[in-house]
Amino acid sequence: MATSRAFLTATRPRRTATLPARITARSLITGPPPSVPPIHGTHETPTSTPLPSPNPLPAFHIPSAPVPHARQEDGKPLYVSGSQAERQARAGRMSSPLRRGTHESWWTPEMGFFNAVAKTIPTFRVLDEEGHLVRGAHIPEISKEEAIRMYHIMTLVPIVDNVLYQSQRQGRISFYMQCAGEEAATVGSAAAMLPNDEMYGQYREQAALLYRGFPLKDMMAQCFGNVEDEGTKGRMMPVHYNAPDLGFHQITSPLATQMPQAAGAAYAIKLDENRQGDCVICYFGDGAASEGDFHAALGMNSVLGGPCIWFCRNNGFAISTPIIDQYAGDGIASRGPGYGLDTIRVDGNDALGVLSAVREARRRAVEGKKGVLVEAMTYRVGHHSTSDDSSKYRPMEEVQEWTVVDNPLYRFRAFLVARGWWSEAEEAALLKKNKSEVLKTFSRAEKLPKPKLGEMFNDVWAVQKGEEMPSVISEQRAELGRLLKKYGDVWAPWRKERKRFVEEGEDVMDCDGRGA
Amino acid sequence: MRPQQLIPSIGRRCRPRLPIVLSPQRRNNSYTVSVDEPSDARPADPPAPRARSAPTPVPDEPTVEEPSLGKSDILLGTEEQALATPGLTFADGHGLRGPTGKGRQTRRMNLYQAIRDALGTALATNPKAIVYGEDVAFGGVFRCTMGLTEEFEQGIAGFGIGYASVGGCAIAEIQFGDYLVNEAAKLHYGSGGAYPLNGGSLTVRAPIMSVGHGGLYHSQSPEGFFLGAAGLKVVIPRSPIQAKGMILAAIRDPNPVIVFEPKILSRPDAVRAIQLLSNPPPSLAALLPAKLRPPNPAPSIQLIDLRTINPLPAAAVSEAVKKTGRVVIVHEAGKQGGVGNDLAGEIGRRAFEYLEAPIGLHAGAFDF
Ligand SMILES: Cc1ncc(C[n+]2csc(CCOP(=O)(O)OP(=O)(O)O)c2C)c(N)n1
Ligand SMILES: [Mg+2]
Repeated sequence: MATSRAFLTATRPRRTATLPARITARSLITGPPPSVPPIHGTHETPTSTPLPSPNPLPAFHIPSAPVPHARQEDGKPLYVSGSQAERQARAGRMSSPLRRGTHESWWTPEMGFFNAVAKTIPTFRVLDEEGHLVRGAHIPEISKEEAIRMYHIMTLVPIVDNVLYQSQRQGRISFYMQCAGEEAATVGSAAAMLPNDEMYGQYREQAALLYRGFPLKDMMAQCFGNVEDEGTKGRMMPVHYNAPDLGFHQITSPLATQMPQAAGAAYAIKLDENRQGDCVICYFGDGAASEGDFHAALGMNSVLGGPCIWFCRNNGFAISTPIIDQYAGDGIASRGPGYGLDTIRVDGNDALGVLSAVREARRRAVEGKKGVLVEAMTYRVGHHSTSDDSSKYRPMEEVQEWTVVDNPLYRFRAFLVARGWWSEAEEAALLKKNKSEVLKTFSRAEKLPKPKLGEMFNDVWAVQKGEEMPSVISEQRAELGRLLKKYGDVWAPWRKERKRFVEEGEDVMDCDGRGA
Repeated sequence: MRPQQLIPSIGRRCRPRLPIVLSPQRRNNSYTVSVDEPSDARPADPPAPRARSAPTPVPDEPTVEEPSLGKSDILLGTEEQALATPGLTFADGHGLRGPTGKGRQTRRMNLYQAIRDALGTALATNPKAIVYGEDVAFGGVFRCTMGLTEEFEQGIAGFGIGYASVGGCAIAEIQFGDYLVNEAAKLHYGSGGAYPLNGGSLTVRAPIMSVGHGGLYHSQSPEGFFLGAAGLKVVIPRSPIQAKGMILAAIRDPNPVIVFEPKILSRPDAVRAIQLLSNPPPSLAALLPAKLRPPNPAPSIQLIDLRTINPLPAAAVSEAVKKTGRVVIVHEAGKQGGVGNDLAGEIGRRAFEYLEAPIGLHAGAFDF
C-alpha cells in the first residue's frame, strides 16, 4: 500500500504538471458556460468562486469524556418515531434535512435495510366482487344520471370492441385493441374528471374517450380512416384517436411518451392563471411504467409541479410479459413515494372505488398543483391487440375466471340494482339500442370513401400564411400526380385503388406533370 | 373500511380518518377541505366546457418570409461586407439601416450572447414562453427559467411537446432526443393539423460540432440523423446574428424546430477568423504561401450559406448549381449519411446535364 502510493507520487507529477489547469474547469456536458469562453489556450475559463480545496479539517481534539450512549443500555432505539426525541432531532439537532437530500429522516444507530415503504400497499375498494358495499366503505356522491351514464359507456365499449375486433379478423380494418376487463377503471376515472381537464391516453382508453362524449361516428371514422376522420385524416393506425375539443390528446404508438408530455401540459396549466382548477390525467400501463419516460415524467412533475393524475392501469400484462416478470417491488404504487407523490392503489374493477379515489386524487392534484399517482389493479381480459394470441402465454381458464368471478360490469350493475336505479328490462333495452347503434355506425363508416389523396401531403410541416409547402413535399405530390396521369387509368391496381378516395386522386393531378 | 394514509418516507400509518359526508347544502356553501382530508365529493359545480385554443398572444408575424438561403460572393472587400448577413430581415420591415435610415444600434456578441438576447426577447414578448433544459440557470432575470438536472434528459423533449400541445411556447435545451423524430415531428401530421393548439411551439437548442477540446463526445455533428424526420425543421446558424434571428424565427414557427448551435461560434473571435480566411488583406496575402494566395484574376465563387437543412432546399441549391456548373459542399460532419451526400444526390439528379465536374464533398472540415 505504502509503496504503491510512493510510486504514484514519484512518477505521476511529471504527467499531471503538463496538463493545463483548465481541464478541471467546467466541462462542456452542461452546455454553454455562463460567460464568454476564452480562445483555446490563452486564458482560464471563468467559473464560479473556487471551492476550498482540500476541504479544511477541523482542529484535532480529544473528547474530554466518552460520548454518552443515550439509553443504549435499555436496548431501545435512540429515537422512537413520533417521540419527543425524534421531534427534537427533526426540529434542529440534525443537520438540515434538505442538505441531507430528504425531507423527513432521523438518525438511528440501527442498520436497517428495507425494500418497501409499508409492508404491502393496501387496495382501496368500495364494492366487493359481488357488488356489495365493503364494510366501512363510503359511497361517493353520485347521481342516478351519472351512474347510468357510466354504466351506459361500460356496456357500450364491449360492443364497439367486439364489432371492431371481429371486423379486423375479417380484414375490414387493419388493427384493433380492446378495453375488455378494464371498463370500470377507465370509465370510473374518466367520470371523476371535469370537462376542461386534459387527458393523455396510452391506447386502450377508448372508454374514457366515449365517456367524454366522443361520437361513435368519429371513432369508427378513425378506425376506417375514412373521409369523416377529422382527427387523423386517415393517416394513423386504428385506435390512434385524438379529440382536441374534449381535451383528449393524440394517442401515439411509442410507449410512455404520453407521460413527459402530460408533465409538460400540467406545468403549463400551473403557470396559466386562466386554467387554475383544471387538471391533467395521464393513463399508462404496467409495462409502460418500466420505460425511462415514466421516471422522467414523475421526476419532472414532482419537482416542477402541475396538477396531474398518473393513472396506472395495472392489467397484469404487457403483451405477453406478466407483471411478475415486469417488477419485483410492490407494484407501481410503491414508486410514488419515491417521487414524493401522494399515491393510492385502488381496485380497478370497482367503478365506484375508482371514481372515489380519482376524485380525491384530482382534488389533491388541483389544490396542491402537483402530481398524484393512482394504481388501478385490473385484468386484461382481451388479447393485447389483434396482432396477439394470448392463449400462447396464459391459460384461457384464467381469463374465464376473471370474467366470471370479478366482472366489473356485474359489480357496478349490482350497485345500480341495489339502488333501485336499474332493471332487467332497462338493461335489455340498453343493450339492444347500443348494439343497433354500433352496427349502424359501423356499416355507414365502412361505406364512406377515404379522404382526398392529396391529404397525405398536407400538415407534414405546418405551413403558415404566405408560406409555401416545402419543395420536398410539393415535388413528391407533383410526382404522384404525374404517375397517376400516366398510369392511373391503365394499370389495374391503381385504377381500382383510386376509386376508394374522394375525387379519385384528381386533386393531386393539378400539376404540370413534370415532377422531380 | 377507509384506506389508511400512508406516510411515504417513514413507513408509518396515521390513524384512519373518518369519512366526511358532504350534504348538498354544505357543498353549496363555501366549503373548503384541507389537503389531507380525503373527500369523494364531486367537485362543486363543474365549470362550463371552454373552447380549447390557447389565447396566446402570438408575436407579430414576420413581414417577410424568413430566408433559408443566403448568397454572397466569397471574396469580400470590407469587414462590414463580410459580417453582413444576406437575406437578414427585421421584424419592423426596415433593412439594415433601420427606421431612421442612419443605421441600427448594434452590439458585438458571440453566439451565446446573441442566443440569450433572442431568448430574452421571446420571454419578454410571450407570457407563455418557458426556457428550460439541463442545467439552465439564467438567474432571476427571467421569470420562467428553471434549472433541471441531467436525470431528466429523457423527458425534456416530451415535456416540451406537452407544454406546446396546450398552447404554450417551449424552448428547450438538450443534448439529444429521439422523441423529436418520433413524437414532435409527427404530432401535427398525425393529429390532422390539430396539435399543437394555437400558439403552441417547440424549439429545441442543442450545441453540436467541435470546438477543439471536445474529444470524442463533444465534437459530433449529428445533424444528418434528423434529415429523415419529416415534420421537423433543422436549422444551423453560421454567425451570432443569424443565431439570434433564427432562434426567434424558430420560436415563432408552429413546427418543432431544432436549432443546432456550432460550438465554435461561442468564441469571441470566430467571426473575425472566418473573415480573415475569406478575405486576406493585401499585406497578409503576400505572406501566404503561393498555393493559398487567391489567383489573379480571382475566380467567381458563389457561397451558398445553407441555414435550413430540413426541409432541405434542394431545388434552390440545384438552380444555383446550374449557373456555375461546379459545386463543392463543405461541412464539418463526416462523409457518410450526412447532409453533403444527400445534397449531392439531389443536385446530381436535378442538374446532371449542367455539371462540368464531379460534385466535391469536403467533409470533416474543421479549421481551428
Ligand atoms: C417504446 C416502445 N417499446 C415497445 C413497444 C411495443 N409495445 C406496445 S404495447 C406494449 C405493452 C405495453 O404494456 P402495458 O403498458 O402494460 O399496457 P397494456 O397493453 O397492458 O394496456 C409494448 C411492449 C412500443 N409500442 N413502444
Ligand atoms: Mg399492462
